[in-house]
Order: sequence, then C-alpha cells, then structure tokens
Amino acid sequence: MKVGRFLLRRLLLVVPILLGITLLAFMLVRIGDQDPVAMLAGPMATEESIALIKHELGLDRPFWVQFFVYVGNLLHGDLGQSWQASTPVMEEILSRLPASLEILLLSMFFGASVGVPVGVRAAQRPNGIFDQVSRFVSLLGFSVPTYWIALMSIFVVFFLLRWAPPPLGRLSLILLPPPEVTGSYLLDGLMSGNFDVVRSAASHLALPVIIFSVIIAAPIIKHSRAITLEVLSSDYIRYARACGVRPRIVRRIALRNALVPVITFIGTELTGLLAAVSLIELIFAWGGLGQWGLNAILNGDFAAVQGYVLVLAVFSVAVFLVIDLLVLILEPRATLRS
Amino acid sequence: MTDTAIPDATAQPAILNRGLGIGRRSPTFAVGLTVVGAFALLAIFADVAAPFGPIETIATAVLQPPGPDHWFGTDGNAMDVFSRVVFGARFAFGIAVPAAILMLLIGVPLGLVAGYQGGIVDEILLRIIDVLRAFPTIVLALAVVAATGQSLINVVLVIGFLDAPIFARLVRSEVLVLRSGGFVKAAVAAGNPTWRILFVHLLPNAIRGATAMIAVRMAWAVRISATLAFIGVGIQAPTPEWGAMIRQGAEYIISGEWWIAAFPGLALVGIVLGFNLLGDGAQDLLDPRRKATGK
Repeated sequence: MKVGRFLLRRLLLVVPILLGITLLAFMLVRIGDQDPVAMLAGPMATEESIALIKHELGLDRPFWVQFFVYVGNLLHGDLGQSWQASTPVMEEILSRLPASLEILLLSMFFGASVGVPVGVRAAQRPNGIFDQVSRFVSLLGFSVPTYWIALMSIFVVFFLLRWAPPPLGRLSLILLPPPEVTGSYLLDGLMSGNFDVVRSAASHLALPVIIFSVIIAAPIIKHSRAITLEVLSSDYIRYARACGVRPRIVRRIALRNALVPVITFIGTELTGLLAAVSLIELIFAWGGLGQWGLNAILNGDFAAVQGYVLVLAVFSVAVFLVIDLLVLILEPRATLRS
Repeated sequence: MTDTAIPDATAQPAILNRGLGIGRRSPTFAVGLTVVGAFALLAIFADVAAPFGPIETIATAVLQPPGPDHWFGTDGNAMDVFSRVVFGARFAFGIAVPAAILMLLIGVPLGLVAGYQGGIVDEILLRIIDVLRAFPTIVLALAVVAATGQSLINVVLVIGFLDAPIFARLVRSEVLVLRSGGFVKAAVAAGNPTWRILFVHLLPNAIRGATAMIAVRMAWAVRISATLAFIGVGIQAPTPEWGAMIRQGAEYIISGEWWIAAFPGLALVGIVLGFNLLGDGAQDLLDPRRKATGK
C-alpha cells in the first residue's frame, strides 16, 4: 500500500517535468533561423506554395495553439510526422530504439561490472598504488572524447589489424537481418537460430561496446571509490572493527551499505547515456535512435527533434523510477520516510 | 643596489616555498597547473611556436605523414597539422575562459538570491534546474547552436548558460546553511541593505565550493565545444579548432591517414585532463578533509 502511494506520488511529480521538457523542446526548435518550410518547398517555391505548406503543417497558427495541439496528440501516442522522411515519428523511434539500447545496455553491463570492483578495491587502500593508477585511468576516461577514441580504435583495430569489420552498420552487408522480435540482431539471431547473423552482429558490436564501456566505467570507478571510502570511515564500521569483527565480514557489511548509493549513481549516469551513445552511433554508422536524433537536430526536423528529446526524457524518468524501486527493495526505511 | 637585493632574495624563496608546499599537499593540482599553463603559453605564443600559419596551404605537401618537415603531418588541404594544433589552443581558451566567466556571472548571483530569499525565487530556480537536468546537455547545446546560427559567440553563450545552474545550486546550498549564522544576523541588525549582505557578507563565504568547480567546468566547456564542432555545428573547418580538425580527419581514418585526427585529439585530451587535474587538486586544497575521506 505504502509502496503504491509512493510510486503514485513519484509519477505525479514526473508530469510537470515532462511538460516542461516538451515545452522547452518545442520552443528550442522554433527560436532559431532554421526554416523547414523553405527546405521542404525547395528553392523554386512561390510565396503561395510556402504559405500552403506552412498551413498544412500548422505552423501558421499561434505558438500556444501549436503547443496544445501537440500535447493533445501526444496523449494519443501521436508524435507527429517527420518532414524529412514523411513517416510518423513514433514509428521511426520504435524501430531505431533497440539498436541504441543494444549498445547502451551491453556497455553499461560491462562498464559497471569492471568499474564497481575497481572502485571498491581502490578504496581499500587509499593513495596506494592501485588507487593512484585507477584514479589516473578514470580521469583519463573522463578526459578522452568518445568520438576521438572511437576513430583511433577504428584505425588500429580495423585498418592496421583487420580484426574488426568496417565501421558501417550493425551487420555484414551480405547478411539479411533476422526476423524481428526484440529488434536486437544479437537476440533475434539467437532466437531464429541463425548463427551467421549472431556472429556478424557480435563482431560489429564488439568495438563500439568496448569503447563505450571504458567511457562509462570512468565515473563509476571514481564514485564507487568515494562511496566505499565514506562507508569504511563511518562510525559503525569503526565500531565493528573495534569489536574485533573479522576483516572479511567488515568488508561484507561495508559493501552492503555501499550498494544503494552505488546503484543510485549508476542509474543517474545511465540517464544521460542514451544521448551520449549518439556519437558512437555516428562514427559506426549504426542507424540507431541517437544518429537519427542528431540528424533531426541538424536538419531542423521539428517533430523529430521534439520526439527525440521526449524519448530521452521519458527514458531518464523510467530509469529513475526503476532505481527508486530497487532502492526501496534494498532499503525500505530510507525511501518511504522521505 | 644592496637595498633592493635583500628583499628580493627573501621574497624569491618564499614564493618558491609556497609553490612547493602546494605541490606537496596536492601533486594533482601542481601537475594540472603545469599542463594548463603549458597550453596557455602555447596559445599566447602560437605565432612564434607554429612554423606555418593556421590556414596556410603548402602546395607541395598534401596528406604527408608526420616527418621532419611537418612534425604532425599535413592534412587534405595541405595545411600543417602541427601549426593548426598550436593555434587550436587559442580556441580552447577563447571558449573556456569567457564561458567560465559567464557561468559565474549568472550562476553565483542567482544562487545567492535564491538561497537567501527562499520562497518563490528559490522554487522557480529549482524547477528550472530540474528540467535542465532531465535534458541531456549535449542535445540541448546542439539544438540551440544549430538553431541560433553557428558562431563562436553563440557557442560560448550556450555553454555559459547551460552551466550556470550548477554554480547557482552550489552557492545556494552554501547560503542556506550560512544565512542563519551569527554574522548575517549581525549584519542585518546593523542595518545593511540586502545587496550588501549578499555580496559583501555572504559571497566570500559561499564561493569556496564554486571556485574549485571552475576548472572542472572549464574542462567540460572545452570538451563540449569540440564535440559540437566535431558534429558539424558551431565552429567550422578550416578554422583550426581541435573538434573541427578531428571531423576533417575522420574521413581519412579508414584509408589510414591517422595523423589528421590523432594529434588534435591528443591536444584535446591533454588540456581537458589538465583542467580536470587542476579542479580535482583545487578541491583537495580547499577541503583537506576531502582527501582523507575521498568524498
């Protein structure tokens, strides 16, 4: 009961934030000097045809009318039409999202399963050699631009070593995509038993996932180190040590208490990554949501940009909700009280 | 002669000692300062350090690999990559410094007012921060720069405005604690106007966390401006900006001409790492407890 009420309150809080983001995205595409009507009409267009297109798109109406019509359609799951591709934005997003999530979730998994242990280990002996090295590596991960390290690895792994396939999409050109169930070529290939597809998809995924995992691991190392250090210097751990509890058990108590803040941090990081993955997608010609969103922004495709921004926001809201639930399970006191 | 020599002789080691002291207390800070300082010198003396002009074409040298004539090779436009990397330092500082000033000028007063007055001002500020936080900065920056036209000034403005809330929140949380302090009550009782309490009494006490943050946010400013240029908005080729240069080099990667993208990227990594080390070290120096607890 309490959990239900807590969730309801969280969901209600989300509504104004989502509205604010929609409004911001709506204004954002309209403030500039990008004119999709002129692009659509072409250079030979007459005044009349421009006015006609404007009318058809509803752009001749006042800003607030446009906004409320958009929000009204949104409630029916209609995100409008992409003017570039003249397809429904919702359809484009749903068909591209799996490709992005495939890289994102795999990288998150690897990044977290390397980053957390390294951070925890570094905190065991602060300023020791392991700590110094991991601190420097994590700072390096913070400072290296994703797109640059991706380009450099393509040069080494594709051009010099010939280990990776050319950075052109998700699957070898001679293979047909497997029948779509999840949208992930890896999973769909496994399900349909087509192991050529699985192998090709995995080899195309390897490089982007490795690069993205490293980028993701850097802040995770830093924060799990800080969190562990804080727990280790807390009163209850000092007390446990003073009582002569064995180090192995002290460590277990510490880890259990560091778990919640570490999970919270990983979640907060995850929210920004759906946008960050777009740079990786751009370089590997991945054709996912991120690459599509970048193009929409560059081309002034209003409805597509709005849809992209909204998906990013909904994604981060959903992640926060999942984290809240996880924390609720792991530590019922803390969340329900606040 | 001797009159002036004596104070000089004592002043020199004092400064040196102080410098060494900082270096000993936070090697991170010292390394960061050295790296950023080196890049700053490069930016200032770019004309002297670079053998060629930043957009000077050398007709006989297209796509030359690194060698004795061209240390970092030449690009597809027959321009010397080393010279362009050197001149690129000017763009890095030219964006990071004004953007940092802008962040402080907007963020700090906002945080002061919101923290001290509370109420509706505070509420509005918090809601704006909420929305901005849920909005990935790279997408926001990209959309604004793409929409408002592609100039250096727009890039600086966007970065400054996007980061201002971070400083506002830092200062606000400090002020929230400070405002009930005795010195503020005394200042109010003595009849100080509100602006004086804010900027003379609260500001010096609340600014500490923000100063340590500046270098970290400058690192971010350099990164994000280069990212924008790489995607193709903001600064455009052949301007010798590192992100734009990596964009130029990207198309040569598959055919093996690695140096066009590699060297500007290395410079970018260097300066961003320098700023990050500087920021990390500054936090250690300003809050010695932090180093012990690692917070």
